[in-house]
Amino acid sequence: MAEPLLRVSAVTKHFQGVEALGAVDLEVAGGSVHGVVGPNGAGKTTLLNVVSGYVPPDEGRVVLGGRDVTRLTPQRRVPLGIVRTFQNIRLFGGLTVLENVLLGQHSRAVTGARSLWPLRTGGDRRLRAEAERSLELFGLTDYRGRRAAELPYGLQKQLEMARALAARPKVLLLDEPASGMTAEDRRSLVPRIRELRDEGLTVVVVEHDMDVISNICDHVTVLNFGRRLTDGPPGQVLASDEVRTAYLGT
Amino acid sequence: MSSFNEAVILTVGINVLLALGYWIAVSTGKYSFGHTAFMAIGAYTASILTVNFSWPLPVAMVAAGVTAAVAGGLIGWMALRLSLLYLAIITFVFSQLVNLLISQWDYVGGASGMLGMTGTTVPLVVGCVLLAVGYLVLLSRSRLGLAHKAIREDERAAMASGLRITRIAVGAFATSAAVTGVAGALSAHQLMVITPELFGPHQALLIILYCVLGGVEYFWGAAIGAIALSLLPIYFDWLNEWYEIVYGLLFVALMIVRPQGLIGRGGAGGVRLPRLIPRRERESVG
Repeated sequence: MAEPLLRVSAVTKHFQGVEALGAVDLEVAGGSVHGVVGPNGAGKTTLLNVVSGYVPPDEGRVVLGGRDVTRLTPQRRVPLGIVRTFQNIRLFGGLTVLENVLLGQHSRAVTGARSLWPLRTGGDRRLRAEAERSLELFGLTDYRGRRAAELPYGLQKQLEMARALAARPKVLLLDEPASGMTAEDRRSLVPRIRELRDEGLTVVVVEHDMDVISNICDHVTVLNFGRRLTDGPPGQVLASDEVRTAYLGT
Repeated sequence: MSSFNEAVILTVGINVLLALGYWIAVSTGKYSFGHTAFMAIGAYTASILTVNFSWPLPVAMVAAGVTAAVAGGLIGWMALRLSLLYLAIITFVFSQLVNLLISQWDYVGGASGMLGMTGTTVPLVVGCVLLAVGYLVLLSRSRLGLAHKAIREDERAAMASGLRITRIAVGAFATSAAVTGVAGALSAHQLMVITPELFGPHQALLIILYCVLGGVEYFWGAAIGAIALSLLPIYFDWLNEWYEIVYGLLFVALMIVRPQGLIGRGGAGGVRLPRLIPRRERESVG
């Protein structure tokens, strides 16, 4: 494998003495979709939290494109290209759908005194037009003026992804993007993630739905009890007896 | 204009300025319980400069705003990363500390207070209110205003969008303190005599109530709250000693019927008062 875009080296994390991650390694190639799977409590979300900066690791390093980002806060990782969504959707519920996407652009927007300029002026006009296009792409144009909290669950998931993409990430971390979605929404999720990969985006996805994983991932890492069990192409990994035993208990 | 009407306009104007100043901090979801500290800092700074150094009031007001902003920035930097309960405690203790220092400081008259200020004018107060309103209109339509709202809504989500939440919140807190300091300077020159007692917990609570009554979602809610609460005691003085009881009951009723305040929107995503102690987030390891 060429030099990975994202490298997680020997990351260890304990919560009140319980090991959530034990010396986990992860290498994610640029422009690929990398799945992280495992049974409940395997450490998947903790791994995502460490990569995005929400949880500092006890040991180990997170390196993005050759730069060590281990000690950076989540908000400092966003402009570098690490952006995430959450397992339990976190939108700005009282703000409109459009405002949510505009906030996703924050790391690319004007700063200092110019951030007091009205949103429709200067460079912000271009970003605003881009936000409108993003709403169109995610089928949210009709809801642009509605408060995010008023949207149905499936659309909230779409909005969260639209907001994350508005930051123009290099690595997009998706935490269970299919959970709670209707079958129809799930079907539209797969081509959307493939499309993003084809445009050159690197995606790390934590997901329980094995259909989604096998359909979108180029590479899969399996975690169990906070340790890396195995990794490889999805077909090979998901068919292995070791994984079936850990994951399904059979 | 009769002196009564002038006094009413000055009082209402200064209280509106206090409410607008406080709202700037509230727009990021940060509630201070000691904003009177910044009011006192502004009042005494301006009074020292006008009385002891013969500075013109408008220049002294700028100095008052800057001094209060520096104090607000320092307190904000120390306290804003903590939960709202700690912020409440730290700001309250800070205001008590400022109060204590002033009452022990002979240079400004100690507990018996400071006098010698000349009166302020209606155009000066109205001009300051208009400036504050202009700033808030700009803020409400800008990316910075959007960032304030995002921090108020959900700090974790704001971090995920790359918002430097501490920097933005401290900036808002310092601006809030500056406006409060200017209001303090005006207040001192309206009253012409100031004592530490004027900047006690009762005044701190009043500033919070201006915002809460009107609703914390929009700045004009805070302004309307301030206008209502400034006029009520003037025009309902016939209630006599029943006044504070009626006042309290009105607030209890409002919190039950319209927790979002008079102006705020209700329903899903409506802006209400935050929990002092945040719900413990369940840490998922799955």
